[in-house]
Amino acid sequence: MVNIAIETLASCSGCEISILDLHEDIIKLLDQADLVSAPILMDIKEIPENIDIAIVTGSVRNEENKERLEELREKSKILIAYGTCACYGGITGMADLYTPEEVNSRSFTDNPSTEPAELPTEVVPELLSIVHPAADFIKIDGFIPGCPPKEQLTHDILIPLINDEAPDVPKKSVCADCTNIMEHVEFDKIKRRIEGEPEPGKCFLSQGYVCLGSVTLGRCGGLCTSAGVPCHGCGGPSLDVLREPSHDIYNGVIKRIAHISKMPEKEVEKQLYDIGHIIYGFVIGSTIMEEKQVSLIPQLVKK
Amino acid sequence: MKNIEIAPVSRIEGHAKITVQVDDSGNVSDAHFHVMEIRGFEKFLEGAAVEEAPRITPRVCGICQTSHHIAAAKATDQVFGLEPPETAKKLRELLLLGQYIMSHSLHFYFLAAPDLVLGPESDPALRNVVGILKNNPELAMMAIKTRKIGQEITATVGGKPISPVTAIPGGQSRGLTTDQQADLLSKSKEAIELVEKGIEATKPLFTQYSDAIELLGPIETHFAALTNNGDLTYYDGDVKVIDAAGNPVTEFAPVDYLDYIEEKVQPWSYMKFPFLKQIGFPEGNYRVGPLARLNVVDNIPTPKASELFAEYRENFGIAQNPLLYHYARLIELMYSSERAIELLEDNSITGTDIRQTLSEPLMTKAEAKESSETKRGVGMIEATRGILIHDYETDAAGYINRANLIVSTSQNNLAMDIGVRETAKKLIHGEEVSEGLKNQLEMIIRAYDPCLSCATHAIDGSSPLEVDIYNSEGILIKKHLI
Repeated sequence: MVNIAIETLASCSGCEISILDLHEDIIKLLDQADLVSAPILMDIKEIPENIDIAIVTGSVRNEENKERLEELREKSKILIAYGTCACYGGITGMADLYTPEEVNSRSFTDNPSTEPAELPTEVVPELLSIVHPAADFIKIDGFIPGCPPKEQLTHDILIPLINDEAPDVPKKSVCADCTNIMEHVEFDKIKRRIEGEPEPGKCFLSQGYVCLGSVTLGRCGGLCTSAGVPCHGCGGPSLDVLREPSHDIYNGVIKRIAHISKMPEKEVEKQLYDIGHIIYGFVIGSTIMEEKQVSLIPQLVKK
Repeated sequence: MKNIEIAPVSRIEGHAKITVQVDDSGNVSDAHFHVMEIRGFEKFLEGAAVEEAPRITPRVCGICQTSHHIAAAKATDQVFGLEPPETAKKLRELLLLGQYIMSHSLHFYFLAAPDLVLGPESDPALRNVVGILKNNPELAMMAIKTRKIGQEITATVGGKPISPVTAIPGGQSRGLTTDQQADLLSKSKEAIELVEKGIEATKPLFTQYSDAIELLGPIETHFAALTNNGDLTYYDGDVKVIDAAGNPVTEFAPVDYLDYIEEKVQPWSYMKFPFLKQIGFPEGNYRVGPLARLNVVDNIPTPKASELFAEYRENFGIAQNPLLYHYARLIELMYSSERAIELLEDNSITGTDIRQTLSEPLMTKAEAKESSETKRGVGMIEATRGILIHDYETDAAGYINRANLIVSTSQNNLAMDIGVRETAKKLIHGEEVSEGLKNQLEMIIRAYDPCLSCATHAIDGSSPLEVDIYNSEGILIKKHLI
């Protein structure tokens, strides 16, 4: 039997829940594999030896996360970074928009409901100075981005892996999944997502909203645009953005909006708002994304 | 002096540790419940366009994501002065009920039940949901099916099962079709059957474990919950606070919470300790969540749950013992399924007036800088684990200046800590502590269904290591902080 382990780092546990969202298929999975460690579900406290497939979720935020990750790497044959946090730092990466002192102060010294105090230091693990995805510290054998990865995708990847087969996964951006219709409409103003009322069934970009579908890895089924809200990039960058040094989320979105609206790129750049949260919200902790020459991340993170 | 560590505390959401100090005479001198994680949402929300908060804050927690989504949406309604139409409020309530069905069945069956079904001192390698699958496959299937229905309601009303998106400032981004209404109605009816069977199968456990109920973590505290004129309510209401005997202490509207709730920091946990301001710390200790709700309310307004509630009240009065959280959770599973049916049988749930939009254009950031106007919104709901507060203060253009989140589990922090300490003192004499005994201390924590990723507050770093990178010509090209 194949041994599987799930290790949760600085994670919200959404990835673990997405695995449980296999529902009845979990039984199918457990017929073919042994779950040997998963603290959210099981009482195994120490990471066991001889793990065949290890799944790690969450970013590396403190010393304990780092130690568990390194131990997991030593004890497993295949280690998969599961979820956008493990792959790119995810939403936890937005903490890098502020200095540690600023963040500390907001919760413990300058908080409206708290009597001022110092950052706790007893027993609790020391924090690393910035957020890291797992690959910053150890070799990762496979990445499954998604916030969280859609359960169908997990099924389509895990079952073949357990059977030692190569999974076949979609490679396109969210636009390929989205069912909205594109229209080229000239406009000269970018809207905040609360302004106006979007027409259902019509591409958000063409209505003046910032939608990250074209630069985000699809595999999510385009659920958000079907639900009436623009894509906010939680699946991480598209393969095109990942592979091309000159392609980035920021310049990708600018090009798209300029192309559809006929606005000059400079004007689009001027009107884009809240870059840190809206454009780079899920990838600020990512070394790959920060190191792109065209990336704005180095200007946004405060050290 | 010996230090015993239980780490990680398992079958909970999030990272925690229990430490117990045993002195040389073999008595427990101290014990604590430590929350080991934080990620900093309150700070990094600053500068965000506030309408993004219902998309960002669900990532506080992958189990409570729907609760954060809805509380954030309520706060943004207020920031922009928008009133969601009635259908939108019903859809949000239905979305929240999907969360309850998913989360309570997840917790009871997948996380807590292994202790009760397999035994607190049973083999730790088997004491989990896989063990239940082998030992009682019918119960396991009930669990999977119930949780699935919760996810299906969430996905249909919210757009996706984890981190839904449809609650937006002013209402909902998508309504319900009549087909979806019919589908969810039939699923909610199935949920009632499953919950009934589940309660029938598991109610005897509370008699079987009556000793454990007395022994593990008992504490007397105040209790706080929203009520709708004394009725159980999740989406809207004012806060009512009672003392341990059930006497009313105070009531307040969500927007006034800062006058009533304060938080204390302790050096050994990243999660803070809320307490009642007018009483002080630690006597102003209060609990939230299923146990608290069922203590605070006078009535559960759906028939089957109401019957269960009457029986529960008769047996336990104003319940204090944490293991009774599990029983309260089952009663709430029934209420949530019944209330979902009520909402789905009302055809206004498919209404198309689901959103109030802005009547005036927003200021630009530059314009907001010139203005001294600020906006504020406080969104409060009963999340599955207790009162949840999202408080946003923004500039005139609606960019967040300051965010304060008081998340459900933190309000039970002190009770968990004291419960662990007092029970450790009772149970531990000498240095040898069995695995089963350690598990019983963990059971106290598990009873609260803690969600520690919801411990959102600060981050800080140790001194960063600075690395200067020079190219081959000796020119500094990059400064890297690691």
